[in-house]
Amino acid sequence: MVGDVGTRHASRVHQNRPSNDSPGPSGGTRVIGLGNLMRGDDGVGVRVTQMLMSRDLPDGVQVVDGSTRGLGLVSLMEGWQRVILVDAADVGQAPGCFVRFTPQEAQLLGQDQHLSAHEAGLRDALLLANALNLLPEEIVIYGVQPASLDWEDRLSPQVEATVPVLVGSILDELQANAADHSASSAHPSTLAKE
Amino acid sequence: MSAVNVNVDVHHLTRVEGHGNIVIDVKNGDLIKCEWQIVEAPRFFEAFLRGRPYTEASHITSRICGICSVGHATASLRATENALQVEVSEQTELLRKLLFHGEMIDSHVLHVYMLVAPDFFGAGSVLPLAASHPEVVMRALRIKKLSGDLCAMIAGRHTHPIAMTVGGFNHLPTVKELLAMRERLVAAREDMDETIALLKTLPWPQFERETEYVSLQKDDEYAFIDGRIATTDGFTYELSEYRKVTNEYLVPHSTAKWSKHNRDTYMVGALARFNNNYAQLHPRAKAAAEELGMAPIVTNSFLNSAAQAIEMVHCVEDGIRIIDELVDRGIEEEPLYQFQGKGGEGVGSCDVPRGILFHNYVIDDNGLIQSANCVIPTNQNHANIEADMRALLPQVLDQPQDKIRHTMEMLVRAYDPCISCSTHLLDVEFV
Repeated sequence: MVGDVGTRHASRVHQNRPSNDSPGPSGGTRVIGLGNLMRGDDGVGVRVTQMLMSRDLPDGVQVVDGSTRGLGLVSLMEGWQRVILVDAADVGQAPGCFVRFTPQEAQLLGQDQHLSAHEAGLRDALLLANALNLLPEEIVIYGVQPASLDWEDRLSPQVEATVPVLVGSILDELQANAADHSASSAHPSTLAKE
Repeated sequence: MSAVNVNVDVHHLTRVEGHGNIVIDVKNGDLIKCEWQIVEAPRFFEAFLRGRPYTEASHITSRICGICSVGHATASLRATENALQVEVSEQTELLRKLLFHGEMIDSHVLHVYMLVAPDFFGAGSVLPLAASHPEVVMRALRIKKLSGDLCAMIAGRHTHPIAMTVGGFNHLPTVKELLAMRERLVAAREDMDETIALLKTLPWPQFERETEYVSLQKDDEYAFIDGRIATTDGFTYELSEYRKVTNEYLVPHSTAKWSKHNRDTYMVGALARFNNNYAQLHPRAKAAAEELGMAPIVTNSFLNSAAQAIEMVHCVEDGIRIIDELVDRGIEEEPLYQFQGKGGEGVGSCDVPRGILFHNYVIDDNGLIQSANCVIPTNQNHANIEADMRALLPQVLDQPQDKIRHTMEMLVRAYDPCISCSTHLLDVEFV
């Protein structure tokens, strides 16, 4: 198993930073939540983005609701240096647990050429973007194990409880990235020497 | 012919939106079975709406489909507005039409390029097509980005139209944004020309079957929102009479409802609109039709995809026209509708990418939805899909089984069926 398994007890640090609603795509980070809010826990990615949108975000970060965009996800990712994707996923954990991983770690960019739009989700969009050399430099996926995918307009209690924890983890990651970015841009000469 | 045995069983047909099976069984040349089986999970949107405030209806129903979210939201708003007798301003109408064009292009480009084109290039999916013809797929993505941005500019979000509300918009685009979008639409003409040129080279299967084509219709424009119901058999109805057209019924091999009107089957979608409303197409779209050798009434269902491309041309051109009109008028903040304490019943209809869609709500005096009915386009097409399969089968029966299977798959895909908004669960296997 690769990736960090999150639990409801994961700690998080929430720092208040000024938000920036309209950063240019180059060099920035886009957080995209996927799923269908009417299919129970399938909507977890969208719920996470909804909560993130109400938080203060570091500069250069934009959060979008990718819903069920399917292959349209390729356009949503294009041009962004870093993309963080949040989606329901069978990650082999108990319902409500989430795993942070990269496409490489999960073999999502393999040789499988079978693609169907009725299931056109994250994997298909990543495959297409990869085939066209449009993948962002860095992709991080937060996969949340669902309890139920029935026709319901709410999350299961397990996944509902995970949402704020997951939001905290993503905020931590965004803050850490922002800190790295400002550190590197503050010492360009040092970096150049290295 | 008498020795022919064919057994085609396509479970969960790929490159359609949802789950459908094609089952064909021919023994000694006799047709035993030819079915289009729908295995849609029952939908609960009508139940979701019951008891909810009318203000939530468009947001809930826009989640029915990630591809037709604007279409569902618009039909929902029109049903609510008709129930509550809300008048909408000319500016709202123009913005809704422009937004609708965005979604129409967005959906059509996905279907034509990502789902249909691979069949003609001998590619199993758009992935090998991306390797063999990257310029074709890049063009599709370019058009898709334009349409997605157009939707986001007006609706406030890429997929779900949060800015749309009963009576108008709670967020308006600026003139500057509109003008920037106009430039991009003008630039997109080249991609539209290339799209038509590409479609002209494709070997469309020869197939004709007369049927009744049903769509919205208006005298003064190519109708996507409101108007009357018109059919190529000469019937017209007010929107409130939609049940006289849809006549939903159940068949044993489908969990979705089917429809019939004057004949056993009818067809909705781009080809139906093309056949009913050719006169109202933009001249550039008519020129595209001529280029493709299409003039109404076209009875080859495979050409539904070509009609979609013609509609993309129309939407780009009409989008430019609408922006010009909006800029000339200037964008103004308008007061939003306030509930007047009186309910009612209303029908809203839009001709969404896959065909005519109806929403019908009863709202009580507290503003709560008492009942809702929603008839989606794909359900209206099911019977026609199966009738086409039955008509096409004898023409291809002498071909190898794989070829028969592929031709049948192409036929069903031509309808761009949206069977259900399935979940998109990512199945992860770690290395």
